[in-house]
Amino acid sequence: MSWSQRYQIYNPADGKRPEPTGLVSDFQRFSVHDGPGIRTIVFLKGCPLRCAWCANPETISPRPEIMLIPHNCIGCGKCYDVCPKGCFGERAERVSKIDRDTCLLPECGKCQHVCYANAINISGRYLTVEEVMEVVERDREFYDRTGGGVTFSGGEPFAQPDFLLKLAYRAKTANLHTAVETCGQAKWDVLGPILEYLDLVLFDLKHMDPGKHLQGTGVSNELIVKNLMHIGSSGTPVRARLPLVPGFNDTVDNVRATAAFVAGLSSLEALDILPYHRMGEPKWRHLDREYRLHGVHPPDRERVYELAEIARSYGIEVTVGG
Amino acid sequence: MASKSEALCKKRIDVADLPGPTARVEAIKERFIKITPEICVERAQLITESYRETEDLPLHLRRAKAFEKILQGMTVFIADGELVVGNQCTKPRSAPVYPEFSCKWLEAELDRLEKRTGDVFLISEEKKTILRELFPYWDKKTSNELATAIMTADALAAQGAGVFTVGNYYFNGVGHISVDYAKVLAKGLNGVIADAKTELAKLDIADPDDLKKMHFLNAVIISNEAVIAFAGRFAAEAEKLAASETDAGRKAELKEIARVCRKVPAQPAGSFQEAVQSFWFIQLVLQIESNGHSISPMRFDQYMYPYLQMDSGITTEQAQELLDLLYIKFSEINKVRDEGSTKAFGGYPMFQNLIVGGVDSEGEDATNELSFMCLQATANTKLYQPSISIRIHSNTPAELYCKAAEVSRLGLGMPAYYNDRFVIPALLSRGLTREDARDYGIIGCVEPQVGGKTEGWHDAAFFNMAKVLELALNNGVDALTGRQLGPKTGDLASFTSFEDVMKAYKTQMEYFVKLLVISDNAVDIAHGQRTPLPFLSSLVDDCLAKGKSLQEGGAHYNFTGPQGVGVGNVGDSLTAIKKLVFEDKAVTLADLKKGLETDFTGVEMESLRQMLLNRAPKYGNDDEYADLVAHEGALIYCREVEKYTNPRGGRFQPGLYPVSANVPLGTVVGATPDGRKSGTPLADGVSPVSGVDQSGPTASVKSVARLDHVIASNGTLLNMKFHPSALKDDRGIQNLVGVTETFFNGGGTHIQYNVISRDTLLDAQKNPDKYQGMVVRVAGYSAFFTSLDKAIQDDIIARTEQVF
Repeated sequence: MSWSQRYQIYNPADGKRPEPTGLVSDFQRFSVHDGPGIRTIVFLKGCPLRCAWCANPETISPRPEIMLIPHNCIGCGKCYDVCPKGCFGERAERVSKIDRDTCLLPECGKCQHVCYANAINISGRYLTVEEVMEVVERDREFYDRTGGGVTFSGGEPFAQPDFLLKLAYRAKTANLHTAVETCGQAKWDVLGPILEYLDLVLFDLKHMDPGKHLQGTGVSNELIVKNLMHIGSSGTPVRARLPLVPGFNDTVDNVRATAAFVAGLSSLEALDILPYHRMGEPKWRHLDREYRLHGVHPPDRERVYELAEIARSYGIEVTVGG
Repeated sequence: MASKSEALCKKRIDVADLPGPTARVEAIKERFIKITPEICVERAQLITESYRETEDLPLHLRRAKAFEKILQGMTVFIADGELVVGNQCTKPRSAPVYPEFSCKWLEAELDRLEKRTGDVFLISEEKKTILRELFPYWDKKTSNELATAIMTADALAAQGAGVFTVGNYYFNGVGHISVDYAKVLAKGLNGVIADAKTELAKLDIADPDDLKKMHFLNAVIISNEAVIAFAGRFAAEAEKLAASETDAGRKAELKEIARVCRKVPAQPAGSFQEAVQSFWFIQLVLQIESNGHSISPMRFDQYMYPYLQMDSGITTEQAQELLDLLYIKFSEINKVRDEGSTKAFGGYPMFQNLIVGGVDSEGEDATNELSFMCLQATANTKLYQPSISIRIHSNTPAELYCKAAEVSRLGLGMPAYYNDRFVIPALLSRGLTREDARDYGIIGCVEPQVGGKTEGWHDAAFFNMAKVLELALNNGVDALTGRQLGPKTGDLASFTSFEDVMKAYKTQMEYFVKLLVISDNAVDIAHGQRTPLPFLSSLVDDCLAKGKSLQEGGAHYNFTGPQGVGVGNVGDSLTAIKKLVFEDKAVTLADLKKGLETDFTGVEMESLRQMLLNRAPKYGNDDEYADLVAHEGALIYCREVEKYTNPRGGRFQPGLYPVSANVPLGTVVGATPDGRKSGTPLADGVSPVSGVDQSGPTASVKSVARLDHVIASNGTLLNMKFHPSALKDDRGIQNLVGVTETFFNGGGTHIQYNVISRDTLLDAQKNPDKYQGMVVRVAGYSAFFTSLDKAIQDDIIARTEQVF
């Protein structure tokens, strides 16, 4: 079997292997906006936040999940035949719904096995550190030529702390540039040890106001702000990232507060303003979850540049788009 | 971590450091873009007249006399503001007619020219009548008709079924050449005439071979003198215009044009302007004589540089303006092709390839100031001609590499990047000397050769590898017509191992490559017997010394290069069979056969198709399993081709690129086991099948590098498409350089980048008027997007976009 095939079929036994595994939702090679150079992103599943604008909603749950794309269905009906619980309901021309409460994932996955048309996908593979590294290592020559490396993202990578520690250690000792993309919601006992093996932290700061932060993400920002202060003075380079979401955090006040705060971090490289986009919206549907920002438009270009200019007045480097 | 290319880019010269387009350049370009191509009948009238007058003469003299008559009789003009002069037709972008090669297709399509979906040409009823009256003279006299008579019935049948097409040279001139421009600049055509006279003096005309040579050499002298006289007509025109010109500045310019045209190309060039004008006359008349495209200036920055250096009176601004104006001239050249060919060569392409950088004969870096200015001229004019290329080697200066990457980012699909580290060894393996191999340039799309001494016949055919696979899986029977076309290699369901499949593929390949060779050689012989080109021959070694035209084997190096098309489809199809049938046993050959026969109709068969598409590894995803099968599939073609020789005493050498023939060649191929439906386009060049390269550009690049690029010495082509935001700042340039370098280090020979967003292309399809000037890379050349056929536009759009 070829390496790319290994991750194609979901195998429930993978989660029960003796060696430690992590739950990976995806890899993205040739990423050029999440750290320097050409990079590979490893998306780890599971996140403590619940942001309405999340562009990777399949990474929120810490368990494998079915993503249903009825558009791809060719009506072969094999999924109805193999499902032991009848989760797809009455047989129809196209599969269009699934009873997620009855579904036997992570134990089953038979439907994905027979769905050649990729109408039924399962987000989440249990992989070992070496299996992840096999993918990451494939682009080493590109990293070397461009100053790139690997970025652990999510979800929230610190939500799988043991696995992330092993991965970061393994990548660092293999002489790769390592970065992590985090929402910052993790205990310092978890963050601290992993930090040693990271060359760069991309740290999201969604709102400076604790109440607003709680409202938008489901958690307050106290721990997050504290962690950022800590990392910002630890010597590890950090890029603060502000996902600019219309109607939530795109006020001049919030941008000023964010810029003022990050300007005080001694190891800050820059503040990246990441304008909200809608590219993740279809995935919410594939998970049968409501996309609460339906109809919200990305912020105006002018508005974004205006806010970036304001942030710059705090004497920090500010980019749009990272 | 400081990276190599980051350090490289620090010294970069900005586009802004060289002068941008002047008002004159902008105005002339604006005028150019608004022109709709037309058919010009002058050449056809003049050559027919000449041929009628010379029926009693030996062939070479007839050709020279005809060339002379055309240059004497055709309209010459100097347009407002021009500094570089010389026109091909009565109007810029008009196309002449070359009845001596073939004209039946044109006669049949005259009323379609204005109406066809791509590459439209306007033509008045009056001009149609003129052509209709002269075409009957050419009946049975063309190189095309002779070639048909030389071919065999089974070779014609294979062409009819779309296994291969030799259409380009079958219906047209050969072109695909680069002459010794340096010689013309240094010695002038008077020098060439003197050389011919020296050779004449050596002949013993009592020797029958020498008697033939005498006529060839006399033809050379007549045609060179005709070109000198042609330049004189422009001098006279400039003098006439100067006399009535009221603007003092323009008057002085016209007088200077007159002086220059009186001097060159007869005499050696003595300034940059003289060198540019001399070059242009040669480039222009070669096209008027030969009916070939891909007449390539190649290493322009090398042979022109001495004239820039010696010219103490010229400013950088003036030199850049002359170059920019020359680039517009390149774009004015045009050619009318039959409607079928426009599907394979969409967008009025002329493929005049100009390459910068690379190494010199000692292996040292050859970059100079002009290398940068040539790239700048592309940025200034943003036109599709010349096709600009860059040679990359271990010591390419960072500034040049980065300048090239900046031009790539403009979204013109240019420059194309070539890898000295693998192209030079590939040429050495074909018998070039080390010095010659180091002096290579690119012909047309992607074909490497050394200029001034090669008749490369680079675009000899498009060979449909996917069709051969279809025949191998169908016992030699054409799936679309039911006709037994190839040998009986066994029923698909009877194969018991993957080796059986490969054996059938190989046997069919042997059979059809042989027919391809017969067809190519027939066309080659016909050109020698009907359409030798004395002027072109006089500028390529060793024609004068051998006393022989290029078409009869006069060149120092001779090749024939047919292109294999469909590498990705053959690779993915064989991979799917290997993996799903013989390894996983997920599908039987009987079911696969049914799927192919029914074009995957019905839910059950569609399910099979989805399995083939999504459960087998695919070439282009950095997956060794699929990549090695693709490698093998391509190699079987390449090894077969390189066995053969051509009538000019040279060898066949394979290439792997399609121009845009992957679209029409796809229409004649039934369903394939990679899940491709019957009649849909094939994969482009050595690029992965459209849409399956889902692992991003780094993975594609690694996969493609796994093919054997050295054996495919006639050229390979990898198209990469990037979203502009992936290349947006210095980091983007660094990443583009990183991708190119990794590909080249791994064994790739050619890569080019399309940097235009999908949304832009979709919008351009809907609103062509808004995007009149938008140039895209099609497949080895660039063209106006809006002039392309819809299917080709769709194919460009469908190519997986490598977004960040």
